[in-house]
Amino acid sequence: MGIKVMVVDDSPFSRMMIGEVLTEGGYQVVGEAESLELLIETYNSCKPDVVTMDIAMPGADGFECSRELRLNDPKAKIILVSSMKDEESEAEAKRIGISGYVQKPVDGETLLQVIKNIMSPDSLFEQLLERGLETFKEALAQNVTRMAKTPVIFSPIENSSTPYISQGITAVIGIIGQSAGSMIMDLSVESAEKITEAMLRRPSKNREEVLAMVSELANIIAGIACSMLNKRDKAFALRVSPPSLFHGNTAEIVSPSVKIQRSLAETDFGSIFLGVGFKKGSKLWM
Amino acid sequence: MDVNIINPILAAFTEILPQIGFQEVTKKGISVVGSTFDYDGVLINLAVVGSTKGVIMIGMDLDSAKRFASKMMMGMEVTDFDDLAQSAVSEMGNMVCANACTQFCKVGIEGLDISPPTLMISQGGKATLPVPQTIVIQFTVDNININVYVGLM
Repeated sequence: MGIKVMVVDDSPFSRMMIGEVLTEGGYQVVGEAESLELLIETYNSCKPDVVTMDIAMPGADGFECSRELRLNDPKAKIILVSSMKDEESEAEAKRIGISGYVQKPVDGETLLQVIKNIMSPDSLFEQLLERGLETFKEALAQNVTRMAKTPVIFSPIENSSTPYISQGITAVIGIIGQSAGSMIMDLSVESAEKITEAMLRRPSKNREEVLAMVSELANIIAGIACSMLNKRDKAFALRVSPPSLFHGNTAEIVSPSVKIQRSLAETDFGSIFLGVGFKKGSKLWM
Repeated sequence: MDVNIINPILAAFTEILPQIGFQEVTKKGISVVGSTFDYDGVLINLAVVGSTKGVIMIGMDLDSAKRFASKMMMGMEVTDFDDLAQSAVSEMGNMVCANACTQFCKVGIEGLDISPPTLMISQGGKATLPVPQTIVIQFTVDNININVYVGLM
C-alpha cells in the first residue's frame, strides 16, 4: 500500500496543487485540513504517514498546528511547506520536531524526495542506536580507569522500560546534534566519595568536592564519547551541555521521549549506571 | 538580574500554555538562588546548547503535575503520575523551551538548541545546576504553581 499523506493548508488552490504532485508521485492523499479546527480529528481518522503543513494560516499558524499534532501523536512526521523560509523559522521547526521543510512554490520533485527520505530508515540514527552506548561505555571505562585507577567491567542490565531509581547522585547531560539525546550517569554517594578520594589521593573535604568530581567525570565521558562518534561520522555533529546534578533523597529518572539504553559499570569502588539515548533527527531541509 | 534571560522565558510561557489548554498564566515572582536548590515532586530538565549553554528546569509538586497533565489531556482524570502524564508534562517542557529559544533569538541570543527532556521525580531531592546562580521564576497557571529554574552561562 502506498504512503498516506495529509495536506494542511488554508488555500484550496495550494491543497489542490500539493495533492496533484503527491498523487502523480504515487502517494495517496488521505485527508485535508484548512486550519487547527478538525486538524486532530482528521489526522486521527485518516492516520497519515506524513503531513504537509503550511505556515501562514488564519488563526493558529503552522507551528502551533504542528505542536498540537505532535502533542496528539509525538511520532507525527510533518513537512512544512511554506513560502516563508528563514533561519529562525527553520530553527523553530527543528526544535518542534518537524521532519522537513520545503519552500513554496512547491517543486514536485523536491517534495517527493523529502517524503521519500523521511520514510526511509535514518541511517545516522540507526548508527547511533548501534554504536552510541558502546562508545559511551568505552569513554567511561578509559577515563574511570585512568583517573581513579580502577578496572571497569560492564555487567548486563535489563533494558526495560521501567523507571530507573537513582543510587544517590545523578548527572544528566543533554546532547545536541543531528540526533539529540541524553546521557545519564548515576552512582551512590559512597562510590562517588571513594572515586573522589582515589582521584584526589585524599578523602574529600565536603559534599561539594564529591559533586564537582561527578560533574567533571560525566562531562569528560560525554565530551569524549561524542568526539569519538563525530570522528566516525562528522554528520552526527554532536555537542554536549554542561551537566545538571541531582542528589538528596532518592529520585526516579524518566526520559519519556527517548529510549535510554542502559549499562552498569562495576568498579572497585562500586557500580556506575550509564544510560544513553537518542531521538530521531530531522531528515531533510530543502 | 538579566531581563534578556527572564523576558524570553515569560514570553514562551505566555505564548505556549494557552495553546495547550490553559487560560491564565500569571508571573508570581522572580528570585535568585545559588547553584543548588531543593525540589519536591517533578523536575523537568532541558539542556540548552548554543551561543549560551546551561539548563532550563521546570518544577512542580506531584499533585500539581497530575493536575497539569489532566488539564493538558482535556480534563481526563489523572490519579497516578503515570507514563501518559509524564509524557504530557515533558512535552510541555519541550514546547516551552523550544519557544523560549525562539524568544532568545529575538533579543540576540541566537542558535540555541535543546535536548530531549529528562524527568526527575523525588521528595526531598536536590538539584545542582552548572552555573553559580539560578534565576527562579514562579508562575501560577490556572491555579497550578510552577517554578522555572534558569541556569544559563
